[in-house]
Amino acid sequence: MEFDWSPEDQAYRAELRAFIAATLPQSWAEISQEGPGGAAQVAYSEEFCAELARQGWLTQHWPEAYGGKDASSWRHAVVSEEMWGNAEPRGPRYMTVNWVGPSIMHFGTEEQKALHLPRIARGEEVWCQGFSEPEAGSDLAALRTLAIRDGDEYVINGSKIWTSYVNHAHYCFLIVRTDPESKGRRGISALLLPMDLPGIELREIPGLLGKKYFHEVFFRDVRAPVSCRLGPEHEGWEVVTYTLAYERVGAAHYERAERVLDTLAEAARKRGLLEDPSILERLGQARAAVEASRLLTHRVIDLREKGSRPTPDTNIARVAGTWAVRAVGDLVHELHGAAALAYDTEADGYYRLSQWAGVASGTTEVQLNLIASHQLRLPRE
Amino acid sequence: MDLDLNQDQQAIQDAVEALLAKHAGPERAVELQVDDAYDHALHQALEEAGFLEIGLVDGAGWLEAVLVVEAVARAAGTVSIGASAVVAPALLARVPRGAVALAGGEEGELIRHAVQASCALLDGGEEAILVPLEGSPATPVATNYVVPMGRLPGSLPEGERLGPGSGELLRRFWRLAIAAECVGAMRAALDLTVEYVTNRRQFGRPVGSFQALQHRLAECEVLVQGGRWLTLRAAHRAASAEAAALAAAHTAGTALRVFNEMHQMTGAMGFTREHPLHIWTTRLHVLRHELGGARLHRQAAARARWLHHTTQGVGRGN
Repeated sequence: MEFDWSPEDQAYRAELRAFIAATLPQSWAEISQEGPGGAAQVAYSEEFCAELARQGWLTQHWPEAYGGKDASSWRHAVVSEEMWGNAEPRGPRYMTVNWVGPSIMHFGTEEQKALHLPRIARGEEVWCQGFSEPEAGSDLAALRTLAIRDGDEYVINGSKIWTSYVNHAHYCFLIVRTDPESKGRRGISALLLPMDLPGIELREIPGLLGKKYFHEVFFRDVRAPVSCRLGPEHEGWEVVTYTLAYERVGAAHYERAERVLDTLAEAARKRGLLEDPSILERLGQARAAVEASRLLTHRVIDLREKGSRPTPDTNIARVAGTWAVRAVGDLVHELHGAAALAYDTEADGYYRLSQWAGVASGTTEVQLNLIASHQLRLPRE
Repeated sequence: MDLDLNQDQQAIQDAVEALLAKHAGPERAVELQVDDAYDHALHQALEEAGFLEIGLVDGAGWLEAVLVVEAVARAAGTVSIGASAVVAPALLARVPRGAVALAGGEEGELIRHAVQASCALLDGGEEAILVPLEGSPATPVATNYVVPMGRLPGSLPEGERLGPGSGELLRRFWRLAIAAECVGAMRAALDLTVEYVTNRRQFGRPVGSFQALQHRLAECEVLVQGGRWLTLRAAHRAASAEAAALAAAHTAGTALRVFNEMHQMTGAMGFTREHPLHIWTTRLHVLRHELGGARLHRQAAARARWLHHTTQGVGRGN
């Protein structure tokens, strides 16, 4: 058992930190105020990702056959940590390289790979994830959006909701029901849908997290070629499971939480509160939650590096990650008081996103269900 | 990074589990509890097999020692395993004969194994002090918590002062030991409870099929696993001030939650001495108070990171 980073990964982290420090503009705090889906951050991410791709660092964890460098999962984790630690300058493109690309590599046809992978690897494509529906949130398999086969096309009708980045996306990783008679996990397919097809409409849903954060997407008789289907027809649930396992620990939330905690300690020091035992206690407690999350995520990376299939370890890491983010978010308000209510403060920026942690990419309750059945093997009703 | 046990570590874990299958376990713990007795036979078996000195052996270290402590706690061994296999070897570079007591230096404090111990390591603030306990000077204190407890007399022999900085060393390794014992006990209590709710039927179905219990058990699983990784990392870091305090903060903070949840879910049965759950849960109550408990471990973790202080103990010397 070895908890230290290899000297190569440590050296790489130092190099990456220097690159980030030299590359991020002075106005980065302002740009990142709205989070990875904010308009300014999405716009900036194009430039940043292009630069990252030129360094060979955007998709180094991909296989060489797809333009990557076969870098280890650990090297990819270093990138995730440094990016999230700096409020994610890759914007929504982080998820494109984290799980859209790998899912296409795993399930895609040669044509799909040739179309998307080189562009993703240059940071050119922005994707959104068309999973949740008004009637299919936690119960994702209840989805109703239909894609009915008509010759060599699918005709898509239905709607998706809470779709982050959809207002910037070139493609949607869409899951639909291709067998109208089916229910549950059977009869679902995944589509790589271009967002410029006629019949796609967006509606912004004003939300608490930030401007233009939530959207609803409507599909009215959208005709998409069958060739954009990813994986076998009606058996898309496997694709969903595969992508979710990547998504749930793709973002190193603990790293940002740790850095925010450091700034909170600094703020407490400036106000002469850092020697206060009750403040120290709260800081120490939050830090223990953050570090537990870090290690549980590292365990998932360790398993992935060793070629293990997705396991409940992913759900465990995700729950711990949510607790860590919440613990730090709560402390933001406790330490800053009412000042943290102001919209343009760093404190508010972090707190707004921290509230979201237990809901995004599967609610905590869904994660707990999966832990109960797959890790603890508790009986079903 | 590699978060699997290597072959040697796996072999050590297997070997100590095999020994514990013979010498420890809940039935043995119940037997001992009748007389508030210490398991001298288990202590001797662990000592003779070399498990107590494993932290000092070439090719092994604190991680291996922590695996032993965790396994003994999982098997409900009534021995001073954390003190004997982790704390004392770290301070003395040897394993003392017989049970070892750890004392925070507070007047009248309740100390685990104080009556049975042949020596005590005392937190004297800047320095740790090794005090021989010949002739059993301690007074037994009756508790409801299975582990034999006692008080040391106000005046003790002078003892051996272990040098500047040894107080901090004691607190660091003590925190690591607390965390390792908590993890072992919580793991066993959680596994036992999962088994109980899987078999116990009410309303025509296993009670473990109710989501009201499933989510809470799953949360405990997340907490126990998180605590375990923090503990193993602290062992790998030779109980660095920050890593050890984080491990103790997390596990001691979780211990009460696990105690309450496991007893709630096993109902009245879990409150009997006929059901083995209490063998582990009562120990959690003892462990969670040591060295000031989660409150002071959390403060120690924050001090180590942001104030770069050595940690503070609970005793008069601090």
